[in-house]
Amino acid sequence: MNTSESTATPAHVDEVVDWLIERVAEYREIPAADVDPDVPLAELGLDSVYVLSLCGDVEDHYGLVVEPTVAWDHPTVDALAKHLHAELTGGAS
Amino acid sequence: MTSPTTTTDNSPATTLGFPVAEHPAPLDELLGDPFASDNPTGYEAALAADDRGEPFAAGEVVLDRAGLGAEYVPAGLGGRLTGVDTLVRRLRPVFRLDAGLGLGHGLTTLMAALNVWTAGDTAQRARVARLLLDGRRLSVAYHELEHGNDLTGNHLRADPAPQGFTLHGLKRVINNTDRAAGAVVFARTTPWASRPTGRDHSLILLADLTALPDDTFRRLPRLRTSGLAGCRLGGFEFDGCPVPADALLGGLGEGSSVALRSFQVSRCVTAGAGTALLEAALFGVHRFATERVLYGRPVSALPHARSLLAGAFADLQVAGALARAAARALHLHPAAAGRYAATAKYLVPRLVEDALTDLAVLLGARSYLREGEYAFVGKHLRDIAGLSIGHAGGVSCQLTVLPELPGLRLTGPPADPALFDDSPTPPLDPAALRLRGSREDPLLTVLAHALDDADPHPGLAPLATGLRAELDAVRAESAALPPAARGVAADHRALALTERYAWLLAAAACVGTATRTGPTGGTPDPRWLRAVLERIGRRSGRLPEPRDTAPLDALYGELEHRVATGVSLDIDPEPVARRPA
Amino acid sequence: MNPADTADTVATPADTVATPADTVATPAAAAEELERRLGPADPADARARDLADEREEFPRADVDALDGIGLARHYVPVEHGGLLRDFPATAAMIRAVAGRDLTMAIAHGKTFLGAVSVWVAGGVEQAARVAELVSAGVPVSWGLTERGHGSDLVAGEVTAYPDGDRVRLDGEKWLINNATRGGLVTVLARSDPAGGPRGFDLYLVDRRTAGDAYRPLPKVRTLGIRGADISGFTLDGVLLDPEADRVGAPGSGLETVMRSLQLTRTLCATLSLGAADHGLAEAAHFATGRRLYGRPLLDLPAASRTLGECYADHLLHEAFATLATRAIHTLPGELGVLAPAVKYLVPVGTESLLARLRRLLGARAWLRDVRGTEVRAGVGVFQKIERDHRIVSLFDGNTVVNLNSLVSQFPLLSRAHRRPRLPEAGLAQAADLTAPLPPADTSRLRLMPTRGASLLHELPDSADRLAELATEQNELAPVAASTRLLADRARELLGDIGEQPIVPPDVPAHAFDLARRLTWALAGAAAVRLWLDSHAHVSRGGLGPEPLWADGCWLHAALDRVHTRLVAGHRPTAEEEHALERTYAVLTGELLRQTGDHRFPSLLHIRRAEAL
Repeated sequence: MNTSESTATPAHVDEVVDWLIERVAEYREIPAADVDPDVPLAELGLDSVYVLSLCGDVEDHYGLVVEPTVAWDHPTVDALAKHLHAELTGGAS
Repeated sequence: MTSPTTTTDNSPATTLGFPVAEHPAPLDELLGDPFASDNPTGYEAALAADDRGEPFAAGEVVLDRAGLGAEYVPAGLGGRLTGVDTLVRRLRPVFRLDAGLGLGHGLTTLMAALNVWTAGDTAQRARVARLLLDGRRLSVAYHELEHGNDLTGNHLRADPAPQGFTLHGLKRVINNTDRAAGAVVFARTTPWASRPTGRDHSLILLADLTALPDDTFRRLPRLRTSGLAGCRLGGFEFDGCPVPADALLGGLGEGSSVALRSFQVSRCVTAGAGTALLEAALFGVHRFATERVLYGRPVSALPHARSLLAGAFADLQVAGALARAAARALHLHPAAAGRYAATAKYLVPRLVEDALTDLAVLLGARSYLREGEYAFVGKHLRDIAGLSIGHAGGVSCQLTVLPELPGLRLTGPPADPALFDDSPTPPLDPAALRLRGSREDPLLTVLAHALDDADPHPGLAPLATGLRAELDAVRAESAALPPAARGVAADHRALALTERYAWLLAAAACVGTATRTGPTGGTPDPRWLRAVLERIGRRSGRLPEPRDTAPLDALYGELEHRVATGVSLDIDPEPVARRPA
Repeated sequence: MNPADTADTVATPADTVATPADTVATPAAAAEELERRLGPADPADARARDLADEREEFPRADVDALDGIGLARHYVPVEHGGLLRDFPATAAMIRAVAGRDLTMAIAHGKTFLGAVSVWVAGGVEQAARVAELVSAGVPVSWGLTERGHGSDLVAGEVTAYPDGDRVRLDGEKWLINNATRGGLVTVLARSDPAGGPRGFDLYLVDRRTAGDAYRPLPKVRTLGIRGADISGFTLDGVLLDPEADRVGAPGSGLETVMRSLQLTRTLCATLSLGAADHGLAEAAHFATGRRLYGRPLLDLPAASRTLGECYADHLLHEAFATLATRAIHTLPGELGVLAPAVKYLVPVGTESLLARLRRLLGARAWLRDVRGTEVRAGVGVFQKIERDHRIVSLFDGNTVVNLNSLVSQFPLLSRAHRRPRLPEAGLAQAADLTAPLPPADTSRLRLMPTRGASLLHELPDSADRLAELATEQNELAPVAASTRLLADRARELLGDIGEQPIVPPDVPAHAFDLARRLTWALAGAAAVRLWLDSHAHVSRGGLGPEPLWADGCWLHAALDRVHTRLVAGHRPTAEEEHALERTYAVLTGELLRQTGDHRFPSLLHIRRAEAL
């Protein structure tokens, strides 16, 4: 239903990883290099509110409406990126 | 008392153009005129029970006979629950009389059952439906003393065990623990970690509390409260209590996501029911003002008194419009409904409390008495505080809304006009409710479009500039909030944005009501919109007390007319059993 | 009527009064002395009070304890042999009692209200008689209101008509505190069938001689102060001596009541201050122990700010009430404005403060058997504080009465403020907390304050003084700006008030809003003057917490609270907000320090028994 103006379809899951790392770095005001994609988001300091913001950014950037539960079920940058990429490309990740 | 200008016999609408329901709410007829001193389910009897700290037995008998439990059961499971706003309308007579009765008899049962309707399997749904249809109660056990509304901090554990789970821990401040047949318990199902993951908790359905082994389960002593004194709040203590695997409601770790969807419904019901307390008090205090003589004339003839009454009536209209829109959005705009539910649960009880406080000023010392015809007003004032605490206090509702404000879009279509009337709604689909509201905000878009209109509604036109500036400011200030400032670390100005947003939504609900058209709509007099929008401006602290009293005078005329014709003061009026003095 | 009666009520000059040895000097010392004598508050007592409240038991033990330390002697003026010389000292003692339990303060303090008319208008012998009874612990009750008329005293139907050489009282009074326990009752009664402002007399009814002709009515069941003796009485042919039992000159009953109410309305604020002292201490206790969302509640900025704002409201109330209570001594001619303003603003402001604390406490504020993590019968005191306190805005002149009283003074106020005036020495005296007070002279109370309100008159000068101070001390700049804004807004308000036509009783609703705003302007002006005229003395003497007084910190917050009520749409700029954030952080810290150290949440250092 909610599709935003700029809906990018990422060719590769790494694009999603990079994009997510940037978001996390921006939220936490830390260098992107300090964001470990294998560490749970909660341990990176992203509590439920950040997760909501992140879902909003996903919707704005990829045109994909996601619930905060995606971050509960895919709690690292890597896991989340895989999931989002699969959703965006119809399961082919 | 002025004589009515029209009668409901010939005219389906009030003086300001609100269509009157054809029939009174069934429970209104069953409960009867609350002022009649020989009515066993009147104010006098309800207050006496409240005073003894007991559930209002005579009231419960009437509700049992009426099979109120069926109102909480979806039609598909054999009950009468179709629309959430319909449920609210059916419950209103109970809450006008005694909020403790409404909550104690069954509203908390609904709060528990909603989790079953949302996540239960077929067997669980059938079992709980049977329970409610039989008039039994469920407790809803979220609250722990140490954690308040912070569900993620809850400690009670459901540890895995061969037969299913064993429960360890305490729940307190839980309604009906001493007489509930069953309970829904929010329990931690993962080891305690310093960072909540959202999947730490699950819901456990205990359909038969009597089946639990005595040595592992205890109902805790009652905790007394200063409001809703007839409610039996207690607690549960589990000490290695075994429960079977099929007690799990929904999937493992789905406790939060299920509860957060159930809250959306229960918040709307609580907000809507809360308006009934104001409706009843307004009728009562108006009645008092027509009887009481001060300085040689009825109090109702004093301009200040009329202004207080008309102002409280405006508050009721605003509260009703917002609560109704939120309830109907669960059906019509489920993607945004969570935001509206939290907003209504935050603002409506506050508005009701403020209006009741004003009415208490008019009632004077009688607002402080537990005896006499108007004692129920003071009781309602105490009880509304309990309703607004409930299981979702004000701040937790604000924290639900705040993270969604920065990205709101008003580019989609405005809300369905049916959001503002009482036409039948599509069935409630719990799965369509979302934990994160949509970026699009159909209700707020109604306001934005009305403000953009080149030829604005005459009731809106005088206030359009201020509302436009406020709408723009709230959006701009929200957009500027960094993610770190959108959560519990929000400062008071960030949190205030949710309140300002709530007032804007209330204004949108009023605009939608005033501009509705259609078979069941009925378009209110433009003076109504002007009066309620001015009221919103004043209550929200944006506008001074209006000098021109014409809009409130029109509302006062409507109030007198409704009282004289036996019609309720709600946003969607209906005939009522009570009569003016 | 002996004309000498009135003359005799003029207070004797202070230097001829033998001050009893245990008359305490300052309000803080008075409150601490009371605290010392009552001893540390026993948690068991607090729990017992809630359970007694549920059973609607009169707080016998509490009242006995107050009688035991002779508190009632502080209700009797020194010229009649009592210990009441400075009203602020007695007020501070009642505040300390109210801070323990409001029911206790109201049950006991009611005697002051019952007796005050005698101090205001009674003859010397009569006053001596009443003084003796009060000092002996006899409860005195004040019979003003009636069932059908409430605050409309002129409609009163209790009659006092001649019967031979006696006067005969008949009728019913209702919602009267201590009507059943009272040994002595002052009764307002119609002496002229036609009524009118000169148609009422005030009589002293002694229960010992009235016998069965005085019949108490059943106890009225109330939402709060359930233990208090709230009832009424019927008079069925009570025969009195028309001279010895009448208080004041014939026909002066209403006037005496109106003048007495100026004192009692001012002093009622102290009950609200006590309730807020108690509520703030409970909130601080909760906030320091509570963790939410994985962190201490006080780390949540909005929660900390709420606590700071509530404390700021409290300090504003304290400043306003303190200045007005001192004005009884130094500016009695203006009490006609100050008393209704204080009686409106402080109780209503405290109600909203307690409501905000309630929302902060959540379910705790509402549970009778839970406090913090303690679960025990009667331990949850916050609900009782809020419930008990609601009575304060209702008795002794409710909100409508007080605002109406101010509306009726609009023409005088606006006229007075168009005339130039010299600075009022009495105001400076009232505003300097360290200045000694002259004896109170209740004959100087005026029903109509023809000179207006010097607080507002001198507000522009105060703004100039602050602006000047700010040139030397940059930290004062935000306070100086806020004061200037207040002066401007008060001037506009007085202009609006001058344009408001008044046609009693059809007072337009808008006039009530002007009156409401007027009370906030007065409170703000009182805070400004109190800081200006006291800060140097307080700092030098170490009388109050330095972080509050330095840089006008508490005044900065108090004025912010005033501005939000004075005009719609007040919203500080980002820069102002930045300064306010620092200020409120100081306030929240100071509140926690005071309550943690067992001090009153106050502008001054006042220790509770636990710290003595």
